[in-house]
Amino acid sequence: MTDLLSINVSRLFYEKKHLVSDIKLQVKKGERILIVGATGSGKSSLLNALNLMNQSYHGEILFEGKAITEYPPHILRSRIVMVMQEPWLGEGTVQDVLDEPLAYLATRKQDLGQREQKIRELFKAFELSESYLNQKAEQLSGGEKQRVALIRALQLNPEILLLDEISSALDQKTSGIISDCIFNNFPGTVIAISHDPLWQDRWQRSWTIAGGTLTDNREVK
Amino acid sequence: MDISYLGLLFSMLLLVFPLIIFHTLKLKLSKQLMISFGRMIGQLAIVGLWLQFLLDQEDWRLTLLWAGIMLINAIFTVKGRLKSQRRILLPVMFSALGIASLVVMPWILFMVVRPDPFFSAKFVIPIYGMVLGNSMNSCALALERFESGLSDNWKAYYTRISLGASIWEAALPPFRKAMQASLMPQLLTIASMGVVSLPGMMTGQILGGSSAIVAIKYQMMVMAAIFSAVALADFIAIRLYLAKRFDKFYMPKKDIA
Repeated sequence: MTDLLSINVSRLFYEKKHLVSDIKLQVKKGERILIVGATGSGKSSLLNALNLMNQSYHGEILFEGKAITEYPPHILRSRIVMVMQEPWLGEGTVQDVLDEPLAYLATRKQDLGQREQKIRELFKAFELSESYLNQKAEQLSGGEKQRVALIRALQLNPEILLLDEISSALDQKTSGIISDCIFNNFPGTVIAISHDPLWQDRWQRSWTIAGGTLTDNREVK
Repeated sequence: MDISYLGLLFSMLLLVFPLIIFHTLKLKLSKQLMISFGRMIGQLAIVGLWLQFLLDQEDWRLTLLWAGIMLINAIFTVKGRLKSQRRILLPVMFSALGIASLVVMPWILFMVVRPDPFFSAKFVIPIYGMVLGNSMNSCALALERFESGLSDNWKAYYTRISLGASIWEAALPPFRKAMQASLMPQLLTIASMGVVSLPGMMTGQILGGSSAIVAIKYQMMVMAAIFSAVALADFIAIRLYLAKRFDKFYMPKKDIA
């Protein structure tokens, strides 16, 4: 079976600064991978390379056997979805926030069936009341915003979820809810950067970046 | 009725009042006033002589040449006014103002005014001047607003593309805001026309001896031409700017400032 992701990068950069060499990794469907390393070591540059947000590398990244650069970027990014450290939700209500990316998919005639049911399940899993749907997104707390950002990403049924330090500004309880929800409810592949101790012991695999090299550790859990 | 040169000189004496105000407030604008009015007098004198020459010749090639020079001048004026991403502005402005001119001007000339001779400088130059001047200002404003809408909120743009948006979808909100910002003042001006102020063209025609009815008909036509050209030019400019502002992976280009 073809690997979901195949990363073969000889040199990874942040703009022009060389960060990591010789990255050779295969990722299977449903794997949970944690990226660890010091600030500036190249974690985010690697994560961003996976959804075409960073082109500063030599080598090739394949998604389902095809180079990611050969996919139309919007198609690839609707299958490999990223959630950022500080979520941006916009000015509308939570419903508007959730509707916006679905509008992109609707224009490409992707199947949006069962959507409301899915949203309901996600709200329940993330321990958010559905009454939040009519609230202004700006008025939510940091933890609520991050949960809405995750629901927005998960409703798209991505094959890979990229998480860039999403729990770094959250309290322990919220971080716990989020990690439970992702680990228990999301069947796809997760690749995450996190320093949160709550998250550390749940991963099957970790990639440690230090001194310009990446070490692949399996069976962390 | 003509104005005598002595009369014109007297009109310039009106500037004594602002100069007194500047002096009282110790406002350092007197020098700028002299420069601005000096330039205006010089430029208008040259353009006046040139226009008179064009009107006398009635040569369509000269009219077309002058329209081309006006267009190039407008493009460079906008380029000079905008501070960022200047390298991509020339082709963007050339296409936006060029296409808007090519749609609106033949429409006006073929279907509305039908002057004889067809490329009569008397009609083409003043109408094109108004259409182009307004399009140029509006384009500069629209592009400035669009770029600042993007750069003030890159997080919104990156979030959208990271959720599967195309460039168009990710940039549509600042695009809408930029169009709104540039077109709304035009619509307000149009709505207040005749009530708050008499437009310059109409005033000029009435002073020049035309009937008020002819003058308002021309004014209505010119406002439709201006607004149509402005909307077209703004839309084309931002659309082309968008295509040049981002790479094929929808990331902002870094080497175009």
